[in-house]
Amino acid sequence: VTDATVPQPRQAAPRGAAWLRIRPHLTGWLFALPFLVIFAVFLLIPIVASLVLSFTSFGLGNLRDWFSADFVGVDNYSKLFSDERFEKAARNTAVFVVAGVPLTIGAGLAAALGLNQAIGRIQSLFRVGYYLPVVTSIVAIAVIWRYLLNPDFGLVNAALDLVGIDGPNWLGAKSTALASIIALGVWRNFGFDMVIFLAALQGINPVLYEAAKVDGATAWDIFRRVTLPLLRPTILFLAVITTAGYLQLFEEPFVMTGGGPLDSTLSVAMYVYQQGFNFLNFGYAAAIAYSLFIAIVVLTFIQFRLLKADEYT
Amino acid sequence: MKRSAFLAAVAASLVVLAGCGGDDGSSAGGDDGKPTGEITVWAMGAEGDKLGVLAKDFMAANPDVKVKVTPIGWPVAHDKLITAVAGNKTPDVSQLGTTWMGEFAKTGALEPVPDDIDTGQFFEGARDTAVVDGTTYGVPWYVETRLLYYRSDIAKKAGVTPPETWDELKAAAQALKEKGGAKYGISLSPNNWQEFLPFVWQNGGDVIEDGEMTFDTPEVVEALRFYQSFFEDGLTAESVPAGFDVTQGFVAGTHPMFFSGPWHMSLIEEQGGAGLKGKWDIAPMPKKETGTSFVGGSDLVVFNGSDNKEAAWAFVKYLLQPEVQRKWYETVSALPSVESAWDQGALSSDARLQLFGEQLKDAKSPPPIPKWEQIAAEVVNAELEKATTGGSSAEQAAKEMQQKASAIGTE
Repeated sequence: VTDATVPQPRQAAPRGAAWLRIRPHLTGWLFALPFLVIFAVFLLIPIVASLVLSFTSFGLGNLRDWFSADFVGVDNYSKLFSDERFEKAARNTAVFVVAGVPLTIGAGLAAALGLNQAIGRIQSLFRVGYYLPVVTSIVAIAVIWRYLLNPDFGLVNAALDLVGIDGPNWLGAKSTALASIIALGVWRNFGFDMVIFLAALQGINPVLYEAAKVDGATAWDIFRRVTLPLLRPTILFLAVITTAGYLQLFEEPFVMTGGGPLDSTLSVAMYVYQQGFNFLNFGYAAAIAYSLFIAIVVLTFIQFRLLKADEYT
Repeated sequence: MKRSAFLAAVAASLVVLAGCGGDDGSSAGGDDGKPTGEITVWAMGAEGDKLGVLAKDFMAANPDVKVKVTPIGWPVAHDKLITAVAGNKTPDVSQLGTTWMGEFAKTGALEPVPDDIDTGQFFEGARDTAVVDGTTYGVPWYVETRLLYYRSDIAKKAGVTPPETWDELKAAAQALKEKGGAKYGISLSPNNWQEFLPFVWQNGGDVIEDGEMTFDTPEVVEALRFYQSFFEDGLTAESVPAGFDVTQGFVAGTHPMFFSGPWHMSLIEEQGGAGLKGKWDIAPMPKKETGTSFVGGSDLVVFNGSDNKEAAWAFVKYLLQPEVQRKWYETVSALPSVESAWDQGALSSDARLQLFGEQLKDAKSPPPIPKWEQIAAEVVNAELEKATTGGSSAEQAAKEMQQKASAIGTE
């Protein structure tokens, strides 16, 4: 190490100290400027604005004169506790997350493990096949799935009919609508998890498998003792990403059921949309949105804690 | 200081949201009383695509005015208009769905209709859609109302004539299913207030009177019970799959009756083809106390942010002339809101159209209150669904409607 690589303490400048401090970073700031402007205009300001909105009674009558909205403190938030529809939406969203996240990660892992064994063309074919739903427009998916699940001429019920089961009205019945949405969500999203798992699996050193085999480990032992622990960071990442995504469940029920029947597939994000854009209760909608945001932050934090805690056991 | 900075941020973000607003009009009227300048008109769906035809005629008659028509898709129209109001970027004239009138009047962005427009020329039910708290904020542009569509061939087989009363409607549905061999007797939506409210009106009731909710009245309960009975007796489908189109069921003969507006005539002709010709017909609403139907359609409004209100109202007045209304019918099949426009042409000679014209004289819409959209979706549709498919009783549903609608309020 020579002296030249050690930063020299800056001499106190007689004038424009601030300028001298910024100057060396100027190029960096300039490069970052386009992003910063876009971030501020399209994200930061709306985020702050909606937080402010959530403490106001902002509604239809305030559209023309924004400053006429009254600050109502935490009224919007306390109203949530007695709002039946919010409660229903929260429960549906929780069910979707609790059932959907493990299923999605499980399906992604299973597909990845299978594909990891396959070779050549077969692997690419299935990889593309499983990933396709992730990149397909939800509207196209909805059209197809509605047909599949149609009680009268849908493929699913036709198949069930072959084995003598009278299939339910999947999206139209209260008891099966949410389950159908979960199935659609899992099918639509596991391809992403699969691709990440595949990359992680291919990053595992084969020497470890060999050593385990030499020690007489069975395939199940190897999976449990070698593969799974090494995939832990990947699982954490996917759990966080998938949970945050699923908490914001919107598109699937929006295009498939419109939240029905009897609000059985209404999600929190859909409820935000309804309150904000259909009923124009902007203040209330902002409060629901922020409650969802807080839920996501808390859950993410817990997941980090849970999956990191026993890293070395 | 803190607070105003925050509100400025709110304002700034709304400006961003409103960035997609329309152009403002330009200069005001000329000295000779003839309108001049440019106006922007927003119109939705097929109306937006075709309004240019009428605008051209208008400009030929008023060479000093330039009318710019901006077509807007129905699914985004409500959002776009709301953002336009928030950003103060409203057009001069716009088409508004009749059930939106209460909301937009509440924003304070609408200009009251000037006295020189005679609101007596419209169908009463349509005119009422634009009267908010005693002030008229728009004029009906075109209307639609609902009638009973039925398969005459199946009705013949079942030995029934078009039902004229509630009892006959019920009996007809039963006969069509049992004797006519149809899968269902009728197609009713389990959760659509537009199909349900006519029954309330026919029963002499209403849901809002003088600013007070009147859901928990015997009239509403009885209407609910009647509507519910079609579901209990298996005369209509328990649930309607997403994207369900009754036309298919009607053509196939599985759903031999349903209530709908004039647009279904061409849909049935298209999908039914030559094979269905002469096998279906329409009939007026069945009667209880009255035979009231639902009236929908669109109103025309002028925004008070317009720089050129004179030209804006001149264009609106032009669109209300009977011959222009008739031409509009020929262009996009929109039924005239002006009663006298029905006296000539196809509208006066076509038997089916005449039925719609007759029904329009006894057709209503819910009062234009700002919160109607919310009450309709969260209260009426939701509780109706509970009554039809969710197992709650008519009394219970009416009570819940009353309580929840009152909690939301009319403002």
